[in-house]
Amino acid sequence: MIITWILVAAGLFALGALAYIATWNRTSATGVDGAISVIRSLDIEAFRNLVDPAEEAFLRCTLSPKEFREIQRERAWAALVYVRCAGRAAVLFVKAGQAAQHSSDPQIAESGIQIAHSALRLRLYTLQAGLRLLGQAMLPGTSNRPLSSLIDQYERTAETLLRLGRLRNEQQV
Amino acid sequence: MTWHTLLWISPHVLLAVIAVLMYQRRLYRDFPCFLVYMLFEIVEFALLYALNSIPSATEQQYTYAFIGTLVISIALRFGVIREVSDDLFRKRQFLKEAARGSLRWTKALLVLIGILCAIYAPGDDGTKIIGGLAVINRGVAIVQCGLLVFLMCFSRLLGLSWRGFGFGIALGIGVVASVDLATYAIRAQIASDEWARALNLLTTGSYLICALIWLGYILAPESKRSVVANVSGDEVDGWNRELQRWLRP
Repeated sequence: MIITWILVAAGLFALGALAYIATWNRTSATGVDGAISVIRSLDIEAFRNLVDPAEEAFLRCTLSPKEFREIQRERAWAALVYVRCAGRAAVLFVKAGQAAQHSSDPQIAESGIQIAHSALRLRLYTLQAGLRLLGQAMLPGTSNRPLSSLIDQYERTAETLLRLGRLRNEQQV
Repeated sequence: MTWHTLLWISPHVLLAVIAVLMYQRRLYRDFPCFLVYMLFEIVEFALLYALNSIPSATEQQYTYAFIGTLVISIALRFGVIREVSDDLFRKRQFLKEAARGSLRWTKALLVLIGILCAIYAPGDDGTKIIGGLAVINRGVAIVQCGLLVFLMCFSRLLGLSWRGFGFGIALGIGVVASVDLATYAIRAQIASDEWARALNLLTTGSYLICALIWLGYILAPESKRSVVANVSGDEVDGWNRELQRWLRP
């Protein structure tokens, strides 16, 4: 009988999730200002330091295993906050890119496709990185592959945004 | 005519209206399977309603017709889910590749859950055909509901703007599948006429809501997007400055 009630609860939960997503889908805005403020809140140097494998190796050598695990756990949680913020910014860029795709100017529309594409990849990487960091926070000291791909993806998004900015400037001239 | 019969008829009248609107707006080009599904649902209703109304038709005939049409309806609904998934990824080829693996794993997991539920909660043996049908339907609802929730969560997680009729179709089927999941879970376990009547009402009601959602999405104009082209050049430069500050301090 317990399975029955679990399934009933799952059905109701799914109904709630669908209603929430349908509401979000109709009301969510592009949030350009939000993207900018999210980026402003991020300190890239601090993030790089948190995920730096050399820094981790140094801490491993200088601290006792217990201290190392504690510090590493705190570093992983802190990095996770950065990744979540970057992920939020990526979502906003995805929306901005998708909106640009509907521009009457074909070049801006093309850039919109590129922004959305790059930002989507960034979002996927932030999800992946988030999971890995969560694993590290739970089990500190396990494998710590560098997260450079996250930054690479963001650079690509930035390059595309630069291109869009240039196009817009040309239009204004 | 009882209000219960009215509740049974009304969604199918709405489906006929939606089918006409789809034909007029040439939406059948993007969603051919959905149009076939709706037409099939109308034919299925006509057949079952006729069998229910004709005094010479036996209960056994009705049950066989119900099972036969249900199997086709389930298959078509999977086709519709495939169609809305294609709609989501139509302009996002890169994402389609990335999502394919996740979708495959989700499907496998959902099928496994459905099978495990059938093994560990086989249901009430009192009425064998109906009980068996409820168990199968429960498994199907797990997979369909899970797939639709996955697609919607995926689009939400990545910030994809999934609007228009494709989203409406997914939402409508999602509502029916969610209610089916809850009601068939109860049906499989509790084989009482009283419960069956109440659950029938719930299922028919959810189908009416589903038809109203489809009608709403086909009639409502797509909500206006805030286009980036309206953002001033300064703001774009602001993005760039912020990004560069972050990437190359």
